[in-house]
Amino acid sequence: MSDSAGPSTPSRKRSRWDIEDEEAQLEQAQQPVKRRSKTKSAKTSPAPEQTRSSAAVEPQRTTAVYKRPPHSIFVPPRTLHPPLMPSRSVYCYERLNSIEEGSYGVVFRARDKETGDIVALKKLKLDEEKNGFPITALREINSLMVCKHENVVGIREVVVGDTLTQVFIVMDFIEHDLKTLLTTMPAPFLQSEIKTLMMQLLSAVAHCHERWILHRDLKTSNLLMNNRGTIKVADFGLARRYGDPVGVGGLTQLVVTLWYRAPEILLGGSTYSTAIDMWSVGCIFAELLLKEPLFQAKGEIELLSMIFKLLGPPTTHSWPDYHTLPLAKSITLPPPQPPQLRQKFQYITAAGIDLMSRLLTYDPEMRISAVDALKHPYFSESPLPKHPDLFSSFPSAAAGEKRRKPYESPPAPVRAADYNLLTDFDP
Amino acid sequence: MSTSLYPLASLPQIEKTPSREDGIPDGLEEELRAYGCKLIHEAGILLKQNQVAVATAQILFQRFWFVTSMKQFGIGDIGMGALYLASKLEECPIRIRDLINIYDLLLQRKAHIRAQAMASRLASTSAHPRTEFKYTPMSYFGNTFYELKDALVVAEMQILKRLGFNLTVVLPYNTLVNYLRVLGLTSREDVCTKAWGYLNDALQTPVYALYSVPTIVCAAILLTTRHLGIGLPSAPENCWWELFDAEWEDLWNVCGYIMRLYRERTSEDHTRVMGMVAKKGVRQWLEEHRPAGGEGH
Repeated sequence: MSDSAGPSTPSRKRSRWDIEDEEAQLEQAQQPVKRRSKTKSAKTSPAPEQTRSSAAVEPQRTTAVYKRPPHSIFVPPRTLHPPLMPSRSVYCYERLNSIEEGSYGVVFRARDKETGDIVALKKLKLDEEKNGFPITALREINSLMVCKHENVVGIREVVVGDTLTQVFIVMDFIEHDLKTLLTTMPAPFLQSEIKTLMMQLLSAVAHCHERWILHRDLKTSNLLMNNRGTIKVADFGLARRYGDPVGVGGLTQLVVTLWYRAPEILLGGSTYSTAIDMWSVGCIFAELLLKEPLFQAKGEIELLSMIFKLLGPPTTHSWPDYHTLPLAKSITLPPPQPPQLRQKFQYITAAGIDLMSRLLTYDPEMRISAVDALKHPYFSESPLPKHPDLFSSFPSAAAGEKRRKPYESPPAPVRAADYNLLTDFDP
Repeated sequence: MSTSLYPLASLPQIEKTPSREDGIPDGLEEELRAYGCKLIHEAGILLKQNQVAVATAQILFQRFWFVTSMKQFGIGDIGMGALYLASKLEECPIRIRDLINIYDLLLQRKAHIRAQAMASRLASTSAHPRTEFKYTPMSYFGNTFYELKDALVVAEMQILKRLGFNLTVVLPYNTLVNYLRVLGLTSREDVCTKAWGYLNDALQTPVYALYSVPTIVCAAILLTTRHLGIGLPSAPENCWWELFDAEWEDLWNVCGYIMRLYRERTSEDHTRVMGMVAKKGVRQWLEEHRPAGGEGH
């Protein structure tokens, strides 16, 4: 009995795992835990143990006929789950230069001492916390971990310093942010390039929304871009999980940088949802075309009037729920007037204008979702989106690189002379 | 659709937990884990906190003891920190003072019960006076509050640090609903309630840090159907759990963990565990139970 049961187990294992060798090896490593579990279950009750061993013998005889299907994609094998890993020390990284000081943290460029990789280290401000670890930082870390995607800045780990107040988020270092790029680049992006960038942005936003994360601060300075034509959504400092139904427990109106803030937040809505991110995407789309922000308002009232001017004031048809919003009564709507999108964006196709107006739709219920926007005809008409590899590269301000002057003469051969001098004195 | 990969303890972490490394026996660690989770549960009920936050706290608590020894941190403090952290994670934060008051109440009550049990054991006669428990609230600006608050903040930070800030937790409830639907058992209210209950009880065991959610859900369904005498296809080639990518050995192991929660315990077992809520108690126990001739090691 024991003889037949002995070899049966490995053969059964192999039959199931021979699809992928790597997994089979990991499964071998799992063996001891299996053995431990066997003794445990034997201790508790012997009866099912018999069923189990007979179950193990059966497939051996019928291996040729019966092959268990591989794992469902919804149930990844045990070995794919990461282990429980404590945070490493910040001293695993060598600090290079500081990139920027945000509203609640400093960002450094650093080098991983082990791999030599260049990364961005974001130091969280924790000094004056009365309520333990700040919930905003928790949301940021969690959102980044949940939303891993080609077009979302990659979180590598969270490292800690000597004291409990030093916490750093380690992210992939990306050379540019889109805001600086737009102001310094010599020529605006081409239509084909804008399409690529928009598709990348939309697929990142769709990915976040699918994972129940609202970004709540989409803007060009939070979009990073590398020299390989790929943008990455960054700074999840205002991100949070949302539920269905939305807004349980109430959501704050203090979100999204003013210029990119959706009208429902401006009017005091507290049950906003994914549509607020889509409004910001619309503002970013416009900014890519114009090379400057669409609504450069100083205050919320000015912003509302700018929106009303560009899109025409909301009507009961374009936004049926307008009057239910808390601040709607305190706003006097200007006289009806048609949208001015065509006048504002003269060099874009009808499909482009259509996408823009669907992103900048008043009624959040009617505003296009990220998934639907990706299917918009704008992206399938000529000129087609440009392959990211064909984008040109730019000098990175964050990495301390400067744009080379057009007519810079070659430097005088000072170094060479110095070098000779040094070697001459060498014995 | 949750395909997110939540962390699980690695093989070396399972084989020798830090507490066992420090000389705390297997069984005692299991008892302390369960007791810490019961405290979280009781605190959650008194705070009227959502079950999602309580369950998340219990899972984080269980994970923590695969990277830290109970000699280093108390189950009371870490439980409190886990509940505080999980409440933020689940977007239903609680006030620090409320949590501290609740834990203070719970610990005072446990201390009282323990003192009663010890006294009755010493007296060994049934004729000894039973005193009613009376809670004495802490003073608003007293040291107790600030000490507990410090412990809470440190515990929260230690959980974050030692789990590498990876707080991805997947709860089993929607998986259970789906599986029961597939098995055509949703019309049986007793099945649903019982299986749901087993999932909740399993939160007091380390299984959520050891096995994937489908395995644990299958174990809960297995216990339920066996208990209620419901037959499901279980012969090879047609095993219902294989439909959900679970392995029989893992399933049976999870069942073992859950069933061990319900075994009879003596009053000595109870008082022993109650005396070890803080790390001081654990250290004292380790002092008293130092293996004879341990110098050789």
